[in-house]
This record gives sequence, structure tokens and C-alpha cells, in this order.
Amino acid sequence: MISVIIIYIILAFFDPKNILSSVFKSIDILLQIWPVFIFIILLTAFINYFLKPKQILKYFGEESGKRGVFYALLTGIISHGPLYAWYGLLEELRTKGVKDELLIIFFYSRAIKIPMIPFSIAVFGTPFTIIISLYILLFAYLQGKVFSHLYHK
Amino acid sequence: MKKQNQPITLKFALIKALKSFISILPMILAVILLVGLFQSYITPDMITKLFGYNALSDISVGTLFGAVSSGNPIMSYIIAEELLNNNVTLYALSAFILSWVTLGIIQLPAEASIFGIRFTIYKNILTLLSTMCIAFLTTVTLKVFF
Repeated sequence: MISVIIIYIILAFFDPKNILSSVFKSIDILLQIWPVFIFIILLTAFINYFLKPKQILKYFGEESGKRGVFYALLTGIISHGPLYAWYGLLEELRTKGVKDELLIIFFYSRAIKIPMIPFSIAVFGTPFTIIISLYILLFAYLQGKVFSHLYHK
Repeated sequence: MKKQNQPITLKFALIKALKSFISILPMILAVILLVGLFQSYITPDMITKLFGYNALSDISVGTLFGAVSSGNPIMSYIIAEELLNNNVTLYALSAFILSWVTLGIIQLPAEASIFGIRFTIYKNILTLLSTMCIAFLTTVTLKVFF
């Protein structure tokens, strides 16, 4: 954070107009995504309160199997907002025993964004949207498997 | 009455969640500021000039620019539409929109800080390879079947 502020200060001397524009764009982004932050905080609290570690491990732990893969894909698809907004929650789940493989699957399956589907169809057409979505799911799964094999070697 | 199998209260869970979020808030704000900086300095015109050579080049450039770009994914489709109207190939556009949402050079430091450098390296290399493969396969599949 400090490094970024320093970059802004330095650039402000050379290009104050663009830096001011950058600040406004950043504020704009923050205004767009703050509801996502609230949602994630509430979701984190929900998970901490209602889900016991045993349940988390049952669905996303080492023995979760195909069910874990399915839920990782599903939660990735329905998750919303920028990836960095989810880091805190995911890190917490990781400490509770969620498999790294499933995190990888979750990360990549987020490439399918349900609200973006109409945009994708409008710009690229339905065949493109369906095909790329299927490949995303396949490669999310493959990434998980490869990651698991390589990372824990 | 507290349930015996609920060791924490809802209030405690909320406070814990809030504290957890606040601990990573500086990193999130840093990422947002970098995104703002990027959006001010990199224009769609700049991106258009780099495409149109061959499939591998288009996929590579598309992936790279998606990776350094960030922001609402709607923007990636708006930019992609403009590039499509300028005859940029589907190889490039598939790679671009995919890497926009899956890769993020801007957020790498935050990611490494939270998940560890090793996890981050493995994850991003796999994501990069997957994105390039999907861009190629999607375009080829469309050409063969449609």
C-alpha cells in the first residue's frame, strides 16, 4: 500500500491530470464493489458461525472427492466480485482444511460469470459462450488435479 | 439459549470476519489504486495496435494484456467488442477476456502475501497455460463445428 502511494506521489509531480483521473477511477471501483465486501464479510461470518470444521472438511477437505470438485466448481461460478475481495475468506477456509486443489478449481471456474453471459452472447454469440464455458470447467478441474500432483510432490 | 454444539456466537463470528477483512484491506486498496492507475494510462487504441499477426502471437498478446488489465469484467467485453470490430482474431479476444478475469499481475503481490509464493507461482502458471489452451481450443472448435 505504501509503495503504491509513493508511486502516486511521484507520478503526481509529472502527470497530475492522469493521477487525479486514476484516483477518481479508483474511488469509482470502490463504490462499485463495496457491496461485494459486505457480502463477503457476512458470508465469512455465516461460515464461521454455522459451519463446523467437520462439515467444511466433509465438503471441501481431503476426503471430499467428487462432491468437493462439484461444489468448488459451483461456488466458483456463482461467486461475484473481484478475486482479491475473496482472498481473506479463502485463506481462512484454507486454514480450516479446505484442499488447495479445490481452491484452484474455485479460482478458475470464476472465469464463468453468470451476469456476463448476456454480454458474451451479445458480442461473441451463443456457440462461443457455451464452448468457452465448457472448456473453462474442464480446465478448472484439470488445473486442480495437476496442481495437487505438482504442489504436494 | 446457547446450543452446545455452537461454540461461538453470531456477534463473535461477525467481529472475527470483520477483523479478518480489515487485516487485508490495505492490500485490497493498493490493488484498487493500481487498477485506477492502469485504467488512466492504457487505452483500447494502444491494445488494438498489438494484434493481427498469427494465432500464437495473438493468444500471447491477448493473454498478456488481459493479465495486466483489471477492473469490472464488463469492460473486457466492451473492449473486446471494439477489438472485434477492428478485425482482431477470436484467438486474441478469447485469451484477452479469459486472462482479464483469471490472471492479475496487479494482484500477484497480495496473492503471494496471503497464500504463499509457491502456491501463487503454481496457480498462475497453470492459469496462464489453461487460458492459452482454452483460447486456442475455443477458436478451433468454433471453426470446425460452426
